Amino acid sequence: MSAGKSATKQGLGAPAGMASGPPPLRRRDFLRLLSSGPALSSLARLRAVPAPAPTDAATGTFFSEREREILAAVVERMVDTGEPSAPAVRETGTLATIDRLVGSLDAEVSSPLRPLLLLLEWAPPLFDLRFSRFTALGPAEQDAHLEGWRRSRLGFRRRAFYALRNLAFLGYWTQEETWPLIGYAGPLLRAGPPPGAGAPP
Amino acid sequence: MIVDLLERGGDLREEADVCVIGSGAGGAVVAAVLAEAGLSVVVLEQGQHHTRADFDQREETMLPRLFEEAGMRQTEDGSVTILQGRGIGGSTVHNLCYCFRAPPPVLRLWRERHGLPELTDEALAPSFERVEHGLGVVPIREDEVNALNRLVRRGAEKLGYSGFVAKHNRRGCVQSGYCLLGCSYDAKLSMLITYVPRADAAGARIYASVRARRIEADARGAHRVHAEVVDPTGTALGLVRVRSRVVVLAAGAIATPILLKESGLAGESGQVGRNLHLHPAVMAAGIFEEPFAPYRGIPQSYYIDEFIDLDRDPESGVILMPIAGFPGLTAANLPGFGREHFRFLRAFDRTAGLLALLHDRSAGEVEPGPSPARPRIRYRLDADDARALAEGLVHCAEVLMAAGAREVLIPYFDAPLVVRSTAELAEIRRRGVRQGAIPIASTHPQSTCRMGGDPATAVVDAFGECFHVPRLFVADMSVFPTSLGAPPQITTAALADRTAHHILARREELFAGS
Repeated sequence: MSAGKSATKQGLGAPAGMASGPPPLRRRDFLRLLSSGPALSSLARLRAVPAPAPTDAATGTFFSEREREILAAVVERMVDTGEPSAPAVRETGTLATIDRLVGSLDAEVSSPLRPLLLLLEWAPPLFDLRFSRFTALGPAEQDAHLEGWRRSRLGFRRRAFYALRNLAFLGYWTQEETWPLIGYAGPLLRAGPPPGAGAPP
Repeated sequence: MIVDLLERGGDLREEADVCVIGSGAGGAVVAAVLAEAGLSVVVLEQGQHHTRADFDQREETMLPRLFEEAGMRQTEDGSVTILQGRGIGGSTVHNLCYCFRAPPPVLRLWRERHGLPELTDEALAPSFERVEHGLGVVPIREDEVNALNRLVRRGAEKLGYSGFVAKHNRRGCVQSGYCLLGCSYDAKLSMLITYVPRADAAGARIYASVRARRIEADARGAHRVHAEVVDPTGTALGLVRVRSRVVVLAAGAIATPILLKESGLAGESGQVGRNLHLHPAVMAAGIFEEPFAPYRGIPQSYYIDEFIDLDRDPESGVILMPIAGFPGLTAANLPGFGREHFRFLRAFDRTAGLLALLHDRSAGEVEPGPSPARPRIRYRLDADDARALAEGLVHCAEVLMAAGAREVLIPYFDAPLVVRSTAELAEIRRRGVRQGAIPIASTHPQSTCRMGGDPATAVVDAFGECFHVPRLFVADMSVFPTSLGAPPQITTAALADRTAHHILARREELFAGS
């Protein structure tokens, strides 16, 4: 059986030399992703983090270790500022914030994200005929690849791009250590409620 | 008594004179007025009961607590984001407190074209006065106009545009700027700290985390509500049943028609769920040289009404209003990613947002979706409305430039437009406002169970009672016959007050033997 046939039957397998990458995208995941337009559309405006609801028995997190690796690579490109003082994504609570958010959403919204990350990881050979995983590309190549999602003629790719983009923004820009970059002074509550705050009429 | 059934657990059976579904600008008023008159009242609220101690001024915790679908509710095509409140107090907990009565020309339109001769300014005045008193509505003081609003006013005045500092419902405001995330100081006089405590003090039984699923009615009218206890993700954990003489539906213009449809009620006119107006809004972002912390202070106080003339045309027009956000919200509304995106976000503390909000003729529809929490919402801007919004964007850019903005960003998704001179404004007109090409947001869904004089074309009568279902009233923004053309909080509350007093006037008939 050829590698290609195997991929058709069991999922989109890794090109030669990439066996140590993330798990392959299964056909059913891909189909699920393609049929998840409305959910991804909603994620494209994602702005919130409800209480956590762990789903991975081994780690207590929504995303597996490998999925987090892909997510981290995506977030790094989405929030690249070019500023030397910008905190690195992995040095902040960004991924944990995103994980808490996604793990607690309605399953109809969150379920496409795992296959989406896997699709993105294997998308360079699928969409660009570039035989490399996303996480193995250099930053400029990753940006070019993401730009392809942003401007794709396929609606689901554009919606998926904005879902991941806004997840990244919400995860990163709510971290206090990023606020000096944009001049945000943060909540006032740290000083405690002021005296004489309002009362009902 | 306010009980969050998620914490109490188990099933619940209740009996009351009145069951109110929803606790926002409409439901809270009805509950308080009826309970204070001595009726037994049960209130069912889908969201949770949060108070100032929960309001931590952080986006990542407050947005899911206070907004339906955690702030990401959208039309089916993803082109319009609809920010709708959830929880005790509804949208009044997160709104920005503009207080306006229904514009007289719009009321005239409702009287003349929708068969509602009862809705005169004089007839509504007592209800407006009561709710304005109940919500502590006062003019915003000059010293409460923040830097963002001062900038916008400067631009408008330079151009000679009509505008004014509006009224609001705050008392003892410390001007933190976090109104959108719930007031940590109880200075915002939302339903949460005005009418809900009044209803509570008068003996209403208020249950949070309860989603109504079906209203039961027979020939005598509505008499039972079937509901379920739900957690924040919508998982059903228990059953609730309320038997009552009257049911008041005040779940908002999205959930109210869905509940009617799922109950198989009030569908005779074919108008349930139709005529959805959104007050859709688009934003221009003016980038200034110096930081001015736009996110501090009362977010919206100045109001530009130059481009809406309701006496001339009560069905269209554009209002301009300032807007500021927090880092996550702001980032999500700016175009691009990586360094292209950061080029705009780095000006966060130097950016003034200005919204063009449309008094829309375009009408959409609401239907039950794949799950109770995910309704199917469709809305298409017609060509005239799209042109009006685009023109509104042009005026936003004009005002921001007149205020001194170095450049103005129009955040088209694929090719952001940066305008630096009035000569470049034509490009906004050329590109226009196309759904899916630029962020469009709505905070005012309305009109999906419209009020009218003719049962063939309207869902409820002039007092909010369903034409074909006695004892079933609607008391939220669903009943507006057309788009309101002004911020809707006070009008929603006033019409609900009127409905409540109408119920009291029919007390003998509706509650005989109670």
